[in-house]
Amino acid sequence: MEKLILRRVDRNYEEMVLNFGPQHPSTHGVINFIVETDGEVMKRAIPDVGYLHRSIEKIGEATGYPGFMPFTDRIDYVAAMFANEGYAIAVEKLLKVEVPPRAQWLRAISCELVRIASHLIAVGTMTMDIGAFTPMVHGLREREEINDFIEALCGARLTYNYHRIGGVAFDLPEGWRDKVLAFLDRFDKFLPEFDRLITFNEIYKKRLAKVAVVSREQAISYGLVGPNLRGSGVDWDLRRDMPYGAYPNFEFEVPVGKGWAGAVGDCFDRYYVRCLEMKESSRIVRQALETIGQTPEEIMAKVPRNVKPDAGEVLSRVESARGEMAYYVVSDGTNKAYRVRARTGSFTAMSIIEDISGGLMVADLVALISSLDVVAPEIDR
Amino acid sequence: MAQSVSEYTGAIKDTVKSFWHGMSITLSHLLRRPITVQYPDRTPMPVRDMLPPRYRGFLEVDTAICTGCQACERACPINCIQITLEKDPANPKQRVVTQFDIDEAKCMFCGLCVEPCPTGSIQHTREFEGSQRNIRNLTFRWSDALSPFPVYKVDKNAEYYPRAPLGSLLRAKLEAHPWNEAGPVFLPPEAPGAAKPVAQPKAAAAAGAAGAAAPAPRAAPAPKAVPTNGVPAPAAAAAADPVPAAEKPVTPNPETK
Repeated sequence: MEKLILRRVDRNYEEMVLNFGPQHPSTHGVINFIVETDGEVMKRAIPDVGYLHRSIEKIGEATGYPGFMPFTDRIDYVAAMFANEGYAIAVEKLLKVEVPPRAQWLRAISCELVRIASHLIAVGTMTMDIGAFTPMVHGLREREEINDFIEALCGARLTYNYHRIGGVAFDLPEGWRDKVLAFLDRFDKFLPEFDRLITFNEIYKKRLAKVAVVSREQAISYGLVGPNLRGSGVDWDLRRDMPYGAYPNFEFEVPVGKGWAGAVGDCFDRYYVRCLEMKESSRIVRQALETIGQTPEEIMAKVPRNVKPDAGEVLSRVESARGEMAYYVVSDGTNKAYRVRARTGSFTAMSIIEDISGGLMVADLVALISSLDVVAPEIDR
Repeated sequence: MAQSVSEYTGAIKDTVKSFWHGMSITLSHLLRRPITVQYPDRTPMPVRDMLPPRYRGFLEVDTAICTGCQACERACPINCIQITLEKDPANPKQRVVTQFDIDEAKCMFCGLCVEPCPTGSIQHTREFEGSQRNIRNLTFRWSDALSPFPVYKVDKNAEYYPRAPLGSLLRAKLEAHPWNEAGPVFLPPEAPGAAKPVAQPKAAAAAGAAGAAAPAPRAAPAPKAVPTNGVPAPAAAAAADPVPAAEKPVTPNPETK
């Protein structure tokens, strides 16, 4: 035994290849990283995607157009509403259907509520990965209320299946509007409390400052989207720059990383952009609820039960909680899609890890993954 | 990286200050009411009654108003609903539903089957506590061949279809047996190669190929029909495996067409 240890020392191990994950609590699902380390410093971390592949895109070719909607929930189960919306918009474009205005407002309300819920998970799990447990519980407490609202709206807490091709499934329930407005009042007070609890904590800030800096050029060339892109200082948001649905009606700001803790594009910027986005989403929901009509109106366009679009191809883009989500749907004129392709933000976020991780500490890999807010099922689909 | 003394002490001061900011919030929660609920025995009422009415729980079918249109079966993206319609032997004009099975273990509770139902017969209930020892107990049989139900005739002028209270039928089914009851005994699924008529040519081919020393690429599936044909069992098991390629043209697989 002693000999063995001596021999290992003699051989002068400088590099060690480690498997980080798939079953690791801070990889946010089952993702595998192959980490080449030299002591505590990584040479690089190679993400090995595909562990959670469920061939959802292939299923889209087997089920009919409406039948694929529940499967889109499973693409990104933390923010399933956006996957619903993107797919619905794509098929509506194929069918050339106009969505009723009230349905578009309901889509915006539901999506922005889910964005808040998703960002609460993102910032909560990030603080937990760094080592602070309490803020995550605070985040989950608020998310629980949003889940209750969404449950009252569409009947499910996670796999919503709320949007339909041509509209939404349900109108607002009785008394829902006032309850959500009351929640938003509380939530607007919660955000500063959360900031005092952890965001402006000096230890937390110093821990994330100048860690895993993604420059503006890198972010664009790797195709980062959403809060990760804006964290690197790129001012781009589909809701404002290529508005879809009801978004032209709302007033909101797009937070962009400014190097609050040190450098533009570090982990803290990506984290804090999400905190600020929650505030803007709360503003959008408030505006939408205050202006939406109280009387029920048409929420579904006329869509045949057997959806059979003309041959053609479309691309739809929505701003998901994890960034731009695109659906590419090809129809060959039958009632089943010829090809359904989903482009997700987490996949491109994974691609940048190999480039950024060189020279980082192993402990910083955890901060990098959680600041990119990758969700495992969205990477592999 | 030279740090002045004021920077150093300032950082300590900021750390202590922000630490107490956070700690004061944590301490203030000692005085707040907890939001957690002790499930299931400390809730003021059963959890299913606290859920919103749109909750998508187990599916329930009111067979009294089911029209047998099979719209729910077609809408289901994962085919967990199975409906069979037959003519009533006593009254040839009347169609009856002899099978209406919903596999709740497979169901993903998307709600797509509820929407096309013309009478609201199939509905999601607020039931969700359905753990069973045997997964087959989660296949709810709303009709069976021994007691089929006649299809409901839709009255065009009716504004309202009389439906049993939502959840009552499902609860009756759930409470009919304990959770740890053994599952219903179905016939084992028949493999296409193991069916009776297939056995004869296969056995003949197996006997013919028994001399050929073909190495078995993988473990033999051991079809049940082989020992019944009088062929010595070990020889048949060894020879049966390379044979399927030869028997294919004799019995085309019904699933491939």
